[in-house]
Parts: sequence; structure tokens; C-alpha cells
Amino acid sequence: MKRFSLLFSLAWRNLWRNPRRTGLVLVAIGVGVWSMLSFNALLKAWSASSLEAALKNMTGQGQIHAPGYLDDPGVSHRLPPLSGNLRALLNDPAVKQWAPRVKVPAAIQSEYETWPVTLIGIDPVRERGLSFIDTAVSKGNSLDEANAPGILLGRQLAKRLHTGIGKRIVLMSQNGSGGLAERGFKVIGLFSAAPQIERSEVFIAIRQAQTMLDMDREISEISFDLHRPNDLPHFIRRLRKAAPDLDIESWETLRPMTKAINQLMNGFVQVWIGVMFVLMAFGIVNTLLMSLHERVRELAMLQALGLRPRLIFAQVTLESALVVFWGVVVGMGLSVGTILVFHNGLNLGFLARGSEWLGAGRVLYPKLVVSQFIGTGVLVWMLGIAAGLLPTWRMVRSVPIEAINRSAT
Amino acid sequence: MNSSSKEPVVICRHLSKRYGEGETSVHALREVNLEIRKGDFLSLSGPSGSGKTTLLNHIGGLDRPTSGDVCVLGRQLGDLDKGALADLRLEKIGFVFQAYNLIPVLSAYENVEFILQLQGVNARQRRQRAREMLAEVGLDGLGNRRPAQLSGGQQQRVAIARAMASEPAMVLADEPSANLDSTATEDLLNLLNRLNETRGMTFCIASHDPLVIEQTRRRVRMRDGKIEADEQAC
Repeated sequence: MKRFSLLFSLAWRNLWRNPRRTGLVLVAIGVGVWSMLSFNALLKAWSASSLEAALKNMTGQGQIHAPGYLDDPGVSHRLPPLSGNLRALLNDPAVKQWAPRVKVPAAIQSEYETWPVTLIGIDPVRERGLSFIDTAVSKGNSLDEANAPGILLGRQLAKRLHTGIGKRIVLMSQNGSGGLAERGFKVIGLFSAAPQIERSEVFIAIRQAQTMLDMDREISEISFDLHRPNDLPHFIRRLRKAAPDLDIESWETLRPMTKAINQLMNGFVQVWIGVMFVLMAFGIVNTLLMSLHERVRELAMLQALGLRPRLIFAQVTLESALVVFWGVVVGMGLSVGTILVFHNGLNLGFLARGSEWLGAGRVLYPKLVVSQFIGTGVLVWMLGIAAGLLPTWRMVRSVPIEAINRSAT
Repeated sequence: MNSSSKEPVVICRHLSKRYGEGETSVHALREVNLEIRKGDFLSLSGPSGSGKTTLLNHIGGLDRPTSGDVCVLGRQLGDLDKGALADLRLEKIGFVFQAYNLIPVLSAYENVEFILQLQGVNARQRRQRAREMLAEVGLDGLGNRRPAQLSGGQQQRVAIARAMASEPAMVLADEPSANLDSTATEDLLNLLNRLNETRGMTFCIASHDPLVIEQTRRRVRMRDGKIEADEQAC
């Protein structure tokens, strides 16, 4: 312990004998760690935003369908009105909210164009917070109750159909009896969303849809969110037990692409951290070698005075541990600062259409995950120390006289 | 007491050192036989390349011989690994180098304390001993200065204080006056002489400086890696 305090004090002072070099190393490690942590937080925010956007796009954390609906999402595969155990489970405190929907393929016709769409009948009150539609209407009015008249179109679809607020369009689909359902609606609002959604989805009130499609009180799907997303697998098991004849799936099954993008983002973060670390490791080893080369005579002298090779190894390793530690602290400080600056949201308005196309929102909220911060910091610190072990070991292996002669030339 | 009746501190037998291989190899030491006894105040002299520093390095366990052996205080250096050699140097041998070789980030006082700290001497004794040694070499009051704030002569005195602090059985000095002017050299030799007489410490000094050689009581002259003469001063 006494020797450790001696070595620590020596290592600490050695660190500051060349303040410019130490400062540069601190900045290099700090910027590397900052970029790792900040980029990680940003990508996680992007990932969370795209996941939220995907879930809000009429998916929810989970869905219930009639068997066969996912393969053929037509009116023939419909659910009976909710009752019994299933209704009781959906009203469980674990469920944040749920909403029934009618969702079938249809064609929309204006005076000028006909276009294939997905007709979605919603209960506007139940949809609040569950899907994007209650906040997406950018022109005109929203649907305000389950039997409200009128239709909501995406802005791009309205443009394509040469229609707008107050004009009438005709929806056509197959009804529950196998016949053709056709009905005129007045456009009451236009919504903004990702381009493919604006072009392909139209919304009417659920009762209007049921009436038009001759479905009585039947529905196409139930979408739900839980308070704690981690409980989802367990809750789905409970639902399947309560309604074994129905298709009950989580968002991961319903949106495999979203899951894949999430995994890709996480993988990208790991690759980024790896690349940054390799760059930093080169810097650390290079600086350590420079420092050792300059001090080889002094280190040989320490051996001549009676410092055991392992103590010299420990002292130099302590030096690199200290410099990497402070570099990591600097990087973490910069990252906390960056995240605090953007904790109210990083507005991507300047590339809004691009971000929407990629499925993320306009505003990202980078978050500080303490365990991740500390984990990354400790990992960089340990790898930084490890990177310096080999050159230090090689130096210590050289016999004192050789080292003295080398520095003397 | 006659010098030859004192116990030997160092015994070198048939010590040879060759650097390199084949035609380009250099024989730095050739069959050197030497005994250094307790209390000797000995100089190793000779022209550059005569093998003085190489011999000193072998006695200090800093280099391994090609053949022959070195025995220091009854221990065969060839039998010791690097760690054991380091321990031997720490406990029994003081080093004074040509270029002072102080630790630049430590003050003079801390440089002297350094060896004692490695030996595990407690803080109170360490401080007292370091203070005494700096006073002994005439640097009382300069203990808080770092090496860069001291003159060459002062730095060499700190190096001597450091070498003496642990009361080693022997001090090995390699060209200790090489970077000093004649006044500083004379002061240094007076100091070494006094320490040898008052403390009975053994000194082995490699030098080609006549001022240094004149002051020593045993003079070993080397040439071409061999001992040419080994004389006691009158």
C-alpha cells in the first residue's frame, strides 16, 4: 500500500510534467468518449423516435385479430364484439389504453382519380395517445366521436385526388355480406404523416365504417398499449390463454422491419464505439510510447536504484490509467453537457421530410442512461489501460544497461 | 587494520563481457579478477573504452557477463533474477551516475526519501534521515527544490545523499565529476572522502579525472578490458 501511494504520486506528477501532451491526450480521449456517448444517445433517441412513430402508426404495442386477417386483411376476417375474459383483460390496470378498429382495403374516388387505400374506422376518443391520428390533422377538423360523419385524408392523397376540405369523395369496398359497399363522405380534415401513410390511409368514424360495411358491431382489430412495455410478452401470453382462437401478436411480429431497424441502430452504435475506441487506442499507445521513449533513461535509472520491474510496470500503467480516466471523465462531462443542451429536443425540422421518410419524428430527445454512460466509460477506461500494457511490458523487459545506453546515444 | 584483512564486499572472477557476435564483436572485459573490500575507497581509471563502466555495471548487477562470475556480499549475481537483483541494489548498493539521474518530478528532499520509501521505512524516520543526508551533503534549506532548480554540483550532491540515505554496503559512482567544474569536483571528493572515513562506507568510482583518482586510496587502472594495475596510494 505504501509502495502504491508512492507509485501513484509519481504517476500523477509524471502526468503533468508535459502538460501540453497530457492536455492533448485528454482532449483526444475526451472527444472520442464524447462522440461515443453522444452519438449513442442520439441514435438511441432516433431509434426510440422511429419505434414510437411505428407504434403510433396504427400498430400499438400489440394487436388482436381474427385468424387469417394478417394474411388477408379483408372484411371477411373480423372479430365479434368484445366480451368476457378478453374485455376484462383489456381493462386490466396493466393496459394503458386500447382501441377497436375496422381496417379493410378500399378504393377512394374523386371527380378526377381513383386510388387504392386502407380504410380505417376509428373510435377517436379511444385512439387519443394510442395512434398518431388525433394529433396529425393539420388542416380542417378531426373526427370527434365514434359516429362522427366525414373523412380524414392525407395531404398527399388529397393532392393526388385533386380534392380538399369540404369536397366529397366516394369510398368503395367489399361489405360483410360479400357485396359491394359504396358511400360518399365529405372531406373534413387533412392529416400530415410519413409520405406513404399520407398516400395510403383514410380515416372515418368506426360506426360509420361498420354501417357502410354491414358489419354490425364487429371489428377488424384491437390495438393496445401497456404501461410497461417490458410486460408485453407476459401480457400476450395471458391474452392468448383467454382467447386461444384469436391471433394475438406483439409489435415485433407485426412490424419486423421496425424491429430490424432497431437492432441495426444498436449494432451501428456498437460498431461506432469500436471504431472510436480503435482510433483512441492508437492515440493512447502512441503517446505512451513517446512518453516511454523520452524517459527510458529515467526508467532504467529507477531499476538501477532498486525498483523491481513489476513496480515500474505498475507505475507506467498507473500513468496511462490516470490519463485515460481523466479523458473519460472529460468525455462524459462533454456528453452530459451536450445531452442537457438538447434535453428539450433536437429539432430536425431542417430535414423533416427525410426524417419522416426514415420513420423518425421531427424532434429527437437524447436521453442520459446512467448505466450505459458508466458502462461505456468503464469499458473505455479498461480497454485504454489494456492498450498500453504491451508497450509498457516490452519496455520493462529490456535490461537496464541497454536502456541507459539507448538513451545516451 | 590492513585492507586485505577486511571482508570482501565484491569478488569478480574471470569476468568477461563480449558485445556482439563474430568479427564485429567487442570484448569490453577480458578475464577480470578483482576483490573490493569493506571500507575501500577505490577508483577504476583508464581511457575511454577500457571497460570501467562495464565493470561497474557488472558489479551493480545491471549487466550480465559473457563468462565468469560476480559475487556481491556473498551472493552470486548470476543466480539472481531481475527482481532479486533489484532488491539487492535497493538494500545494499548506492548508485551515483554521471548525469545525476534524479527523478525530475520530485524535490531534492523527495528524491532522497524515495529509496527509503521503497524500503518501507516509516514516514517519520524517512523524513529525519532525508533531512540529515541533505544537511550532510551541504544542501540544508534546498530540499524543496526540484532538480531543474539546482546547479549541476547541487544535483550531484542530491544524488550522493540519495545513494547514502539507505546506508548501503557499497556506493558505485560512474564518472561522478564528469559534468562538474574543478571546484565542485573538489567539494564532491571531500564529501565522499569524509563519508568513507566517518561511516566506513565502501566506494568504487569509475573515472578518468586525475583529480578524482588522486583522492582515492586504492587505484585500479584498466586498459582494453583488463586490469593493468591495482595499487594502494601511499
